Amino acid sequence: MPLATNESQLVEIAVTGNISQPTLRPGGYTLDNHGVGRVLPGMSGVVYNARVGDPAFGWSGDHVEPGVSIANPDNAAEFALHYLTCMGNKAVVTSGMAKGAEGIVTGEHARLLVDFAPEVNDLLCVGDSIQIIACGRGLELTDYPQILLKKCSPELIRGIPFEVISDTKIRVPVTTVLPPRIMGSGAELNSEYVDQDLMSGDRELMAELGIDQMKLGDLVVIPDADHRYGRTYRKGAVTIALCIHGDSVMIGHGPGILTLMTCEESCIEWVIDPKANIANYLNIREMA
Amino acid sequence: MNVRTNSDKLVSVSVMGQIASPGFPGLPAEPYRLDASGKPFLLPTYGGIVYNVSIGDSAYGWLADTIHPGVSISLKDDTGNRGLNLFACVGNVAMVMTGDAKGTKGVVTGKSGRFSEQVIIHFDKEARKKMAIGDKINIRSIGVGMDLLDHPDIKLKSCSPDILENLEVTTGSDGKLNVPVVGVVPAHLLGSGAGLTSEGGSLHIQTADKEALKDAKLDGLKLGDVVALMDYDSSWNHGYLRGAIGIGVVGQGDSPRAGHGPGITLLMTSPQTGINPQVTPGVNLKSVFNLAD
Repeated sequence: MPLATNESQLVEIAVTGNISQPTLRPGGYTLDNHGVGRVLPGMSGVVYNARVGDPAFGWSGDHVEPGVSIANPDNAAEFALHYLTCMGNKAVVTSGMAKGAEGIVTGEHARLLVDFAPEVNDLLCVGDSIQIIACGRGLELTDYPQILLKKCSPELIRGIPFEVISDTKIRVPVTTVLPPRIMGSGAELNSEYVDQDLMSGDRELMAELGIDQMKLGDLVVIPDADHRYGRTYRKGAVTIALCIHGDSVMIGHGPGILTLMTCEESCIEWVIDPKANIANYLNIREMA
Repeated sequence: MNVRTNSDKLVSVSVMGQIASPGFPGLPAEPYRLDASGKPFLLPTYGGIVYNVSIGDSAYGWLADTIHPGVSISLKDDTGNRGLNLFACVGNVAMVMTGDAKGTKGVVTGKSGRFSEQVIIHFDKEARKKMAIGDKINIRSIGVGMDLLDHPDIKLKSCSPDILENLEVTTGSDGKLNVPVVGVVPAHLLGSGAGLTSEGGSLHIQTADKEALKDAKLDGLKLGDVVALMDYDSSWNHGYLRGAIGIGVVGQGDSPRAGHGPGITLLMTSPQTGINPQVTPGVNLKSVFNLAD
């Protein structure tokens, strides 16, 4: 059932970025878990064949960012793009052959990630401007003040089929449970900025826990993780997050997990639902 | 030394840094950072000459954010600073080359910094009083390239021949390397530093959950303590792997920030359970190197 929010008080504001060219470090190699140098695509640009709803694992790529990656060349504007954009916000192409086409924000990594229909991607060029109607900062669940929302658009909150458990508890559908001990790169950042990778280096554990079946766009839960003001272990805390990018070959890295909801005490329960993906909740595409 | 190494083939080379000033973002940015409960704080942090915090003191309780004991150095030139950060090893001898403390010797005890850009050195407190930010400090670096000939699974990082010798490591009857440590850190209490380089910088014990810290018997750690990191492979970055074990030294103090706490400078890592940590009270750089107060 829909949860009450302060949605009517939110401000909608435009932020803009340009489609990024993929970049590589000098030398090109990324060391994998076994110390082998790899050169792999994944970050930035227009990724034509990976989209929310597709697998997060199994790509011959590194940190594969589904859809279109955008950034702003001005440092302050870039931070505004990062801090104000919320998952599920509407995006509009504002220059180039696809001008006027609409998309949906599906992730925040080093750049903002936007999903467009494949026929729109065909017309996009690196450098094209994409404007986001940012809305969601300040959003609260009016009846559940213990639960903090991060980068949830009102559309996303409306789309997730929450269950009310009690005056202090709700239940959220997720596909996957991530143990806090495998949460890695990103622990050094504040939780208003980008994501935290789950560490996929223990391949057998990924298979044992079914984490290797995760899809881009999946909702996941991290028990005992407090992401209110940074990301830290705290017994009893709960964090609901979104899988925004694909797996990585690097030690301490893996699929990107973006904080959506978090509470210090156990105010969030979860139920496993294979359909818990923003492709469904934001009507982005039919999933297989 | 109790274990066989290739240390007779190592090259010793100078790396130089200057005493780093503490730094904060420029105006009009607010200077506050948030603690794990969202409360703003403003406290001393990375860099500078820290007069009253030393190796051997508690890692907890200071009104500070990841404070570096002793003196922190860096070099403004980025590639030169990378050289300093990669080649300096824990236990290397440093000497003050300019200023009123010229000629004073110290010992490298850790690596950290907001962007893993600093090397931490112990000097006695009297020497610290004579130093100035900007003084040049030269380190006779030695250690990078060192291998344990009978433990091919173990990679050494920031580990000097001196610390290896003085830590009293031995090869056990099971073929594993026995390393005395003060404490053992479970993977769920390791935070910031995961996914980042293990050749410099620090991997932090996360201390927001004080009960969990106490349960793991890590609430009494001292700066300079040697600890083991369980289920973490630090071969080419720090990351989770069941069975992998790392050894590091507590190089800096606790932090109020989420995901942070005492920072560990890595000394060695085995992705294959090839290290056998043996809990032994008092394994600390202060006694290992006979550091003067």
